[in-house]
Amino acid sequence: MTLVWGALALGAIYAIVAVGYNIVYISSKTFNFAQAQLMMVGAFVAYSGLVSWHLPWLVVLLIAGVIVAAIAAIEERLAVRPVRDSHNILVTTLGAAIFLDGAAQLIWGTQPLTVPFVGGNRATTFVGGRVYPVELALIVVAVLLVVGIVVFARWTKYGRALLAIAEDREAAELRGINVRALAFAAFAASGLLAGMVGLFVGPVTFAVSTLGASLALKGFVALAIGGFGSFPGALVGGMVVGLVEIWSARLFGGDYVHLGIFVLLLLVLMLRPAGLFVRARERQV
Amino acid sequence: MRNSLRAIARRIDDMPMWSVPLALGIAVIFAPHIVGNYAIERQLQLSLILCLLVSGLNLSLGYAGELALGQVAMFAAGAYTAGLLSSHGHTEILVQLLAAAAVAVLVGIITGVPGLRLNSWSLAMTSFFLVLLLPDVISIFKDHTGGRNGLVTMHRATLFGSPERGDLYFATIAVITLLWFVVLRNIITSRHGIALRVLKQSPVLASSVGISVFRMKLLAYALGAVPAGLAGALFANLDLFLSPEAFSFTYATTILAASVVGGSASVYGAVVGAGLLQFGLNQSSDYVQYSLVVTGAFLVICGVLLPGGIASLARAAWRRIVGPVDVAAKRPVPQVDAVARFAGKPLRVEGISKSFGGNQALRDVSLTAAPGRVTALIGPNGSGKTTLLNVICGFYRPDAGTVTLGDRRIDRIVPDRVARAGIARTFQTPNIPAGITVLEAVTAGRYMTARVSMVEAILRLPRFRRVRREDEAEAWRALDLVGIADTAYLEATSLPLGQRRLLEVARCLVAQPGLLLLDEVASGLDEDELERLGTLIRRVADAGATVLLVEHNFQLVLRLADHIVALAQGQVMAQGTPDEIANNPRVISEYLGIETAAAGESSQAGGHRAAGR
Repeated sequence: MTLVWGALALGAIYAIVAVGYNIVYISSKTFNFAQAQLMMVGAFVAYSGLVSWHLPWLVVLLIAGVIVAAIAAIEERLAVRPVRDSHNILVTTLGAAIFLDGAAQLIWGTQPLTVPFVGGNRATTFVGGRVYPVELALIVVAVLLVVGIVVFARWTKYGRALLAIAEDREAAELRGINVRALAFAAFAASGLLAGMVGLFVGPVTFAVSTLGASLALKGFVALAIGGFGSFPGALVGGMVVGLVEIWSARLFGGDYVHLGIFVLLLLVLMLRPAGLFVRARERQV
Repeated sequence: MRNSLRAIARRIDDMPMWSVPLALGIAVIFAPHIVGNYAIERQLQLSLILCLLVSGLNLSLGYAGELALGQVAMFAAGAYTAGLLSSHGHTEILVQLLAAAAVAVLVGIITGVPGLRLNSWSLAMTSFFLVLLLPDVISIFKDHTGGRNGLVTMHRATLFGSPERGDLYFATIAVITLLWFVVLRNIITSRHGIALRVLKQSPVLASSVGISVFRMKLLAYALGAVPAGLAGALFANLDLFLSPEAFSFTYATTILAASVVGGSASVYGAVVGAGLLQFGLNQSSDYVQYSLVVTGAFLVICGVLLPGGIASLARAAWRRIVGPVDVAAKRPVPQVDAVARFAGKPLRVEGISKSFGGNQALRDVSLTAAPGRVTALIGPNGSGKTTLLNVICGFYRPDAGTVTLGDRRIDRIVPDRVARAGIARTFQTPNIPAGITVLEAVTAGRYMTARVSMVEAILRLPRFRRVRREDEAEAWRALDLVGIADTAYLEATSLPLGQRRLLEVARCLVAQPGLLLLDEVASGLDEDELERLGTLIRRVADAGATVLLVEHNFQLVLRLADHIVALAQGQVMAQGTPDEIANNPRVISEYLGIETAAAGESSQAGGHRAAGR
């Protein structure tokens, strides 16, 4: 059970990355390659705030959220909106991701930094296994996030507007929905989210400049399992990735972690390319 | 001065396009004798290797429109294949090159098949994953690969048994690179290259000219692995030492940056991009620290401000220097005004129903279109015209009913096979591929006719040459018929709406299809174009073609069609001759009655035209 808790905590991180991909995908049909890098910056800011500046954690939460939301907003303005050819958005957001990787290396170095968790570091026994407070917190955050988004989408004006955009951008525009403003807001919101969870992610993964690339891939696998645009799917997908990661490490050894997840991705793409939670749609002209 | 410059430029422009790069390539082979500086020589070798990698990426990113980051992994696969062969005493470089390319292609296929199944991000991610997997795989097989310590047991390569040293090895790298570029250039300038650009523009368009989207993308991606494998073998024998660090994520981003800077959709852009990154940026020793930041910024800036890279800038500048092309003087075939014979096939649609959720878009629709006749499909917006069209073309599966072309059922097969069964169509919003001329865009329509294999195209075998001549002759004829031959050498995407529609018609004509589907071709045409198009449609039908015209312009339909089918609310409301339809009370109330004023105006305009004839 101890292993399961660890796996679910990792899975929660991947699920949150996938949720970030989804927020942007639903609002603007683009894939933000830099989503995981935003979370990485959140973890670094959490380190600086808690360790270097000794700030209270609520303040750090706020600062991390605001800084990363601002970075996401800048990314949208510079690397997404001005791009005319949709093929190129993948290249420019990847550019933004690489830029953030490099910038993080320059500012915080290449050594992994330990981010302390506000809830302490004392493992407790819970449902038959040892579990750290941060692990429980991550799982709770991921679940609350998905539930919150589903409620938001169903019951608020902006949520429904986002769903309308996802369904048919042009029709939504004709209905008086400000598609561009909402797409921008969604981008910034995904940044805010990524920044704030940095406080929870950092203690598990360390703040390190290679974090972005590995989170991006595992988050993508979570997304592929759940299906593009599905939030509950992202949650389940993340957990599956976490479990596969822990078990391939346990059964075969550390060198096999990525290989195990890669095989999982290939299987999903071959067997159910639309994902578990999304119905395949007929192609339209 | 300006004029003489233009005259020289035109003379160069008239030379075969490949002569300049070929001359440069041959010069590079002898570069060591010219520069005689070890440091520069090494940079040149590394640039050539980077060139190979970038050009492989260009095939999938620039031509097939799929971002792939796995070049580094294929590079590593090639390098370790060659390294292991060498360690076991197989030092012959040509054997190593072949084996390395084969292994790299295998890696490409294994990741490409699943990666291409979902959408454009999944290939990017699966191939990106390969880069992350590399150190793990190398470490898992560390008994053979040396793991993180590197592979140190390689022997000096041999060429036909004699050892490769210094200048000879340099020449080997240069010759292999040059040969690959000849291959690449021959693919890109063939109909397969045009097919790739059609695919990049739109998978829907590609399948409607008979291209299998998945197979074409896989082909581009797997073919892109060949130069990566070759580069790997060449790299392995350069230092006779391999370690995982050479195949890092940073190097993957360098390849991507070189591709984007040079211009992904160009053959020689790879050379410019690779040269720039190898010589320009990697020179400064401080660079390593900043490389990710610089590469990332480069990608964003080029993606936003310079989408076509340096290659597209150079192309535009060259066009400006050369000036407008004299089409009449340059065209290889004289103008003829004759419509080819068409072997039109009868189309039978029987009892088609289709619903989307609770919305019944088509209910028990039946119609036929006969060869030699123009059949028109009319109906108000939302009456199901487009849905029916999509059913016929294979984009929608009907819930009930059959579609038959000639004696073949086509309602259960995928769009590219429907196209190959003999249906050519235009689109409501014309779909014009970027980066090719009007003439090339028209020849794209012949992809499903005479087939020419990739190998024949690469080696320029006689059959390839013959089919190309036929393609061009047919394209010229079709352009003459629709009346836009004077635009033949212009960039296809530069045409205004009316001419774009005519281009699409020409693209359909060259296929000599069993069924010609024209989806609202008349909208956006001016009076002259409309007149010419009307005459042309009549002539094509008289030459034996089956024409199905989906049209809003009621006057045009009355004038052209032999048989009219009127749809309303997903059902056939009436069908018959133009006279019968024009006098059918239901048609008048349901279709024309809604827009009495507009119908009156257009009938007036039609009257003027009729009087003018």
